[in-house]
Amino acid sequence: MILEMNNIQKEFDGLEVLKDISFGVDSGEVVSIIGPSGSGKSTLLRCATFLETIDGGEIIYMGDKAARTGEDGKAVYAGPQEMKKFRSYCGLVFQQFNLFPHYSILKNITDAPIKVQGKSKDEAEANARELLKKMGIEDKADAYPFQLSGGQQQRVAIARALAMKPEILFFDEPTSALDPELTGEVLKVIKQLADEKMTMVVVTHEMPFAKAVSDRVIFMDGGVIVEQGAPKDVLGNPSEERTQQFLRVFER
Amino acid sequence: MTFETMLSTMASGMLKTGLIFVLTLIGSLPLGMIVALLHKSRFFIVRKFISIYISIIRGTPLMLQLLVWYFGPFYLFGWNIGNWRFPAIIVAFVVNYAAYFAEIYRGGIESIPQGQYEAAQVLGYSKFQTFMRIILPQVVKIILPSVTNEVITLVKDTSMAFTLAYAEVFSLAKQISASQSSFMPFLIAGVFYFVANYVVEFIMKRIEKSMDYYK
Ligand SMILES: Nc1ncnc2c1ncn2[C@@H]1O[C@H](COP(=O)(O)OP(=O)(O)O)[C@@H](O)[C@H]1O
Ligand SMILES: [Mg+2]
Repeated sequence: MILEMNNIQKEFDGLEVLKDISFGVDSGEVVSIIGPSGSGKSTLLRCATFLETIDGGEIIYMGDKAARTGEDGKAVYAGPQEMKKFRSYCGLVFQQFNLFPHYSILKNITDAPIKVQGKSKDEAEANARELLKKMGIEDKADAYPFQLSGGQQQRVAIARALAMKPEILFFDEPTSALDPELTGEVLKVIKQLADEKMTMVVVTHEMPFAKAVSDRVIFMDGGVIVEQGAPKDVLGNPSEERTQQFLRVFER
Repeated sequence: MTFETMLSTMASGMLKTGLIFVLTLIGSLPLGMIVALLHKSRFFIVRKFISIYISIIRGTPLMLQLLVWYFGPFYLFGWNIGNWRFPAIIVAFVVNYAAYFAEIYRGGIESIPQGQYEAAQVLGYSKFQTFMRIILPQVVKIILPSVTNEVITLVKDTSMAFTLAYAEVFSLAKQISASQSSFMPFLIAGVFYFVANYVVEFIMKRIEKSMDYYK
């Protein structure tokens, strides 16, 4: 198991957003998370990547506990030094890309490997150029984010995350901010990563994509996992009424 | 008094004006950043203290602040500090301008989207690295036009040092004009301030241009 999240609870001033969520991700597995807006999908990814702190439950990366439930029932996180290690296990691709506008494309990808991981400039740049090539935008190395289309920016964001060599990569609706004609190029590179057995968790509303790339689909609603399983079951023949209802909206 | 003597007498005032200007910037540009960061402190007391400081500075004339810094130590505490005139001027200017710069910085920092912090955090940047490498460079670009305005105001505000009878350009112009019954010192002073601001604007435009490579 790369990641295990057990009995995760999270509330925002009294509002319970995640209610006792448990799931795991195996090495090389691709998991899609679907569900209506407000169901807690983003919050779940943000807890897994430590952008939010959980109120209860455990987060276990590679067998080590990053967060556990303390004696008083509240979540307790590992110390700062250990948290650095846990953070290095995970990457996150945002809906809004969040590239650094003042850095060139190349520097967006190399800065963290150099400044955070202590890689040499040469090594980081060679790796970055390789990643850009894989993303099909090797000619954009010296451009700045504002000069790129949304689809290109999102592919840079994916390259930036991959440059840190995470064990697991999370995507929060990676194509939702894109014009419809640009979603394909981003989904294609995610598919390519899936073929290379990159461990990934993808929050998405692209049902055909989820069906094609995922090993498992999780349907969330109201802060709980309503149903999970093989894509053909959850998407093709859901057993829960709420899942059926949600999917009907997409079939129109 | 010939024009040349007038000019050379006033040149010493120009140096003094330049000194106030440079020392004020050296002190207030960084101090303003510290004030801006303290304004976001997690301690209520610190935030309150900073906001009171800023509102006092903005709510009272700089001329009055100069008098308070100069006479305050004696009248309030009975301290007799030798040669306090020039330090008092610099302290008054630095403390005053730091408050204005802090407000500019704060606006700039608040305009950086939360996503920039989050992207940096997920990539493992420390808080310090995030601020220095990701946030600050973007803030600088955003606030540059407002900083330029403030610096131009400072060029003209240096004349307030006249309140404490400090012999900078404006004081000298007034003095020489009175003793020589001549209008010329005012013209010289006017040209001096104008040219100084022209130079400031030129330099700031160059810096702004150097950051035009991204949006
Ligand atoms: N920082 C926050 N403060 C308060 N409420 C929040 C915050 N983030 C999310 N929420 C609330 O949590 C719920 C789940 O949000 P989110 O995880 O973004 O859902 P999803 O990604 O599935 O649309 C929503 O009701 C949202 O308003
Ligand atoms: Mg969301």
